[in-house]
Amino acid sequence: MMNRRTSTGAVARVAVVIGLLASGAAACNGATEPSAGPSEPREVVLVTYDSFALPEAAADAFEEQTGLTLRVVAGGDSGSVLASALLRPGSPDGDVIFGIDDASATRVLGEDLLVPFVPAAVSDGSVPAELRLPGDLADLLTPVDTGDVCVIADSEWFAARGIALPQTVGDLAEPAYRDLLVVQSPVTSSPGLAFLIGTVASEGDSWPAYWERLRDNGVRVRPSWDDAYNNDYTVSGGDRPLVVSYASSPPAEVVFSEGARTEPASVVLVDTCVRQVEYAGVLRGAPNPEGAERLVEFMVSPEWQAQLPLANFVFPAVTGTQLPPVFEQFAARPATPLVIPGDRVGAERDEWVERWRTILE
Amino acid sequence: MIHRRGALGTAAVVFVAAVVGLAVCAVVWFALRADGKWSDEALWRILGSGRTWRLVVVTFAQAGASTLVTLIPGLPVAWVLGRFRFPGRRFVRVVALIPFVLPSVVLATAVAALLGSSGPLDLRGTWWAVLAAHVAFNLAVVVFVVGDAFGRLSPTVEETARSLGAHPAGAVVRATLPAVAPAVVGAAAVVFLFCLSSFGVLVVLGGGRVTTLEVEVYYRATRQFDLSGAAVLSIVQLISVVVALGIVGRLNRRRGGTGGRLHRRRPVGVGEHAAVVTAVIVVGVVAGLPLAALVDRSFLVGRDRTWANWTNLGSVLDGTGLAVSPAAALGRSLLVASIAAVAATAIAIPAAALAARRPGRLADRVLTLPLAVSATTLGLGLLLVVGRPPLDLRGTWWLIPLVQALVALPLVVRVVAPAVRAVPSSALESAALLGAGSRSRWWRVEVPAIRGAVAAGFGLAFVACIGEFGATVFLARADRATVPVAIGALASRPGPAGLGQAMALSCMLVLLCGVALAAVDRFGESAPAREAD
Repeated sequence: MMNRRTSTGAVARVAVVIGLLASGAAACNGATEPSAGPSEPREVVLVTYDSFALPEAAADAFEEQTGLTLRVVAGGDSGSVLASALLRPGSPDGDVIFGIDDASATRVLGEDLLVPFVPAAVSDGSVPAELRLPGDLADLLTPVDTGDVCVIADSEWFAARGIALPQTVGDLAEPAYRDLLVVQSPVTSSPGLAFLIGTVASEGDSWPAYWERLRDNGVRVRPSWDDAYNNDYTVSGGDRPLVVSYASSPPAEVVFSEGARTEPASVVLVDTCVRQVEYAGVLRGAPNPEGAERLVEFMVSPEWQAQLPLANFVFPAVTGTQLPPVFEQFAARPATPLVIPGDRVGAERDEWVERWRTILE
Repeated sequence: MIHRRGALGTAAVVFVAAVVGLAVCAVVWFALRADGKWSDEALWRILGSGRTWRLVVVTFAQAGASTLVTLIPGLPVAWVLGRFRFPGRRFVRVVALIPFVLPSVVLATAVAALLGSSGPLDLRGTWWAVLAAHVAFNLAVVVFVVGDAFGRLSPTVEETARSLGAHPAGAVVRATLPAVAPAVVGAAAVVFLFCLSSFGVLVVLGGGRVTTLEVEVYYRATRQFDLSGAAVLSIVQLISVVVALGIVGRLNRRRGGTGGRLHRRRPVGVGEHAAVVTAVIVVGVVAGLPLAALVDRSFLVGRDRTWANWTNLGSVLDGTGLAVSPAAALGRSLLVASIAAVAATAIAIPAAALAARRPGRLADRVLTLPLAVSATTLGLGLLLVVGRPPLDLRGTWWLIPLVQALVALPLVVRVVAPAVRAVPSSALESAALLGAGSRSRWWRVEVPAIRGAVAAGFGLAFVACIGEFGATVFLARADRATVPVAIGALASRPGPAGLGQAMALSCMLVLLCGVALAAVDRFGESAPAREAD
């Protein structure tokens, strides 16, 4: 009996030792694999938000010209993508980050997240100077596209019920539009933050009271644009005919309907719009820094810029880029968007978001 | 040898205290000194906000509500399973136990299969879904703890009360309830504490709308990049748990003994048979139905029956937000959890020996620290010190296994310590008298006696590690996601593509946990049985 016990004990002990060695060895393999990989990276990784659509033909051209493989890592809504990059500056999940907007750009200051890089198209003035950010940010972030965040309305829904369309930000809090609006959280969503800034511009110091009225009027808050537009908006089969989206949503509806629609279903409430600029930057600690620079360079090239409107429904940053006809026809370009100076946004944004959370959550 | 093992035990305890201490200190440091200078700005920003206090109230209220709602089906089922013998009783107990051993994100995904967009009722983003998951998770606690008390209750007490003229209901109220009350309080306390720190369930089912302190810490750090604010909230959470532990400790001190013989009998009469049938149905609905729905929904995309969710596990789908395929996450999880479970067991054996010598003393307390400090506090704290420059260890192979080992350690110690304590000192003394050295005493007497417990501890550690979510989600890089992290990302998204993969992946984890526990059960039970012959 003693013998058998000893032998079982020995077996168990040996098993544990083998397990230790095996897992240790496997772990070592796992750890050494990346560093033992190709010394010259053949891949460049673009970190961006979920709803970003790669301009496929331009991406192919990039791969062909550079011999690099372009891989996209989408990690949630734009706010989350930036936050998770900021959590780990220096050991990023990719080479280039895209989708940082002008409202949150100051977050990268003092965090050592990006390395300076200014593509030729920016330094030679092809990209209008007013799109560049002030101070240190100018060299860290390259403007790629602009868009307008606006409330859009399901025109058929309103026509069928004989309800007049709201016009201004203030109108949205009127009883006539009770339980009709869906917005995004400014914590996680870039259009959500833009809309919050728009309400501050439109309502001034009484914006918290305005949001209280919106809340009492039944506004619904979703974490991301995807959520709000694709699940809640009546045009997508939801139950809310007013949604915070983009001025370019109408042409998008025509294009994505693949012939089913010749006219857009939505109408843009042009007095609710906030101009937004999207930027790209080279991440510090990028595994492929050279590839990263080439990609940012390519994002402001004529090829990439020309395809942006129909891939992501945004306006190209480079002046003189030809717009597709459907875009010219249906995309609204509000003449007088709601504006708050960038330095004030940088200074007060976090306070606004905090206050907003107290009211809405 | 004894001395050297004592030293090993002390080293293990010091190690646990050091890592947990490091995490907590990092959180406090960041709350007060986020930008390199002392500042109470974050403190006032968070503590001065009405929202924070609302969150504290909501966190306690949901834990209280979850506890009460768990007791409603829990107590009757405990009574039936405790008092009666009937065919299939063991099986029903196992079914009730399943949700408790499943990773929280898996259980939440199963509940989402039933109460989500593809289920008959869409309750995601409401407290109802969270409550449902908490009830499923905690039913086992009530059934096992209170059921045991019911089983040891002498039937003569109730009969005596009745023969002395008490109404049957009065007999229950006056005689039965006081006798099981300590067990009910104990079970309720455990359920309350679990729900107070519940995390995975809320991330998957909360939809970003219903949150608690624990979830707010996570959102604030990872979505708002407000590290100092997250740190302050983490401290608030820590204090809440300590306060709750203090109250629970006081309540449990009044607990009576639970010894005594089991008095279990066959049900008699229509009423008791109906009670048994009802209890079986309740367990089936609460614990079994979500799992059945999970398996069912894993074969559904939109309205179509398909294998797509399963065949897609090898690929990274658009719009799911994953950087690696679910299959790759599974491979990584297996590796990480194996290393972590081996480490947890290796640390636990000397630590348990130390804790067993003086139960309830400092060493014993320190070893439960990783449970008391919530997983997100541990994750956030370690992220702040070793997950960001200048010291970023997230790329190393050992950081996440180490954290998971720490979270699993209290479980292994709890399993191993009683076995160590049970080794009769007389056996050790006789061995010494017969000339056995300390090494051979340990090898020939102690090891065989605790082998079963160690195996069981290892299995539990593996299950705990492979399901660990709260700390791992802070530390895992996107390209090294584990399965729970992947499920959390997939299932908290609105689109159907991610949810389908989450369901299939959850099924895989259910299977893995089942196999691991069944193996433990065999090994753990067969070892002492062999001793007997």
